[in-house]
Amino acid sequence: MAATGFGIIMLLFTTRELIRRRIGLLQYSLWMAVWVALILVGTVPQFYYTLTLVTQMLGMLTPIHFVTTFSILALFAATYILRKQIAELSEKVNKITQYIALMNTNNKKKNDSHS
Amino acid sequence: MQIVCIIPAFNEETAVGRIVSEALKHCDKVLVVDDGSQDRTAEVSLQAGATVIRHILRLGTGGALSTGLTAALKTGCEILLTMDGDGQHRPEEIPILLDPIMKNEADVVIGSRIVRHPDAMPILKRMGNRALSIATSLAAGTKITDSQSGFRAYRREVLEYAIHKAWDYRWASEILVLTSKGNFRIKEVPITAVYLPKRRRGANIKDGFRILYSTIRGTHEKKGFTHGKP
Repeated sequence: MAATGFGIIMLLFTTRELIRRRIGLLQYSLWMAVWVALILVGTVPQFYYTLTLVTQMLGMLTPIHFVTTFSILALFAATYILRKQIAELSEKVNKITQYIALMNTNNKKKNDSHS
Repeated sequence: MQIVCIIPAFNEETAVGRIVSEALKHCDKVLVVDDGSQDRTAEVSLQAGATVIRHILRLGTGGALSTGLTAALKTGCEILLTMDGDGQHRPEEIPILLDPIMKNEADVVIGSRIVRHPDAMPILKRMGNRALSIATSLAAGTKITDSQSGFRAYRREVLEYAIHKAWDYRWASEILVLTSKGNFRIKEVPITAVYLPKRRRGANIKDGFRILYSTIRGTHEKKGFTHGKP
């Protein structure tokens, strides 16, 4: 019940963010998959037991092990991607800062030579 | 020969004025790169007679030097000199660095703090410096005793060949390795280093490992950066 309610709220919130163009389509799709899975688990408990098949294939004891392990791996991947993006943005900020500094110096020289 | 001195500075209002005044006695122009200071570094530098380039955000020593070197090259100067803005380097020793270039004995001159007074450097810093200098020497193919010294002189051709890409303390080793690939002559001259008791700047252990890693990995690229170009 709680999972369903939370899933629906987050689904609506995420959809609103997409409509307001605050998140991209890929990001929306990923989060939608998470909220839909949450809603399914809450409304159709039998869905949880379908995970048993996947769990057995992976050699894990119970579905919760699969969910926990998968969540941790997904977080590692997300952290890696975020750090890479931060490094790229940092590089861009550095370049822009330098570009502005040099442009301001050039403009100042031009103004001084005209006056 | 036109000589331009580049001084990266961050919150150095107390020292930079004197350094600029003294440097102007030996150089045609002094460029102070104000690396996002919160004090009056830029104003003091201007009053002392420097041309000031201001970063709106702090980029670090490597970034400030990169900006300064790019701007200096546009002035058409023949020799570029770099020094710290915190008083660690003595402007009176600028002629010592310029001498080998004037006599056509070198293309890059490094002011080595180790040659004359090896024990003057704090011990931890000395150990780190030695390790990095050995690594840089191996990567550059020439013996360098003080690879992390920021008191240097370059012929224009050296920096037209390569400007470092690193924004942090890795710049010091990177530019030496790059210049060695261009078969430029590197020479060291002894200088006096002033170790201020309150000085907290300079590379730390983490920076040291970063510099060592990038020097050993040898991923420096020739002309990896286009500064000031859209």
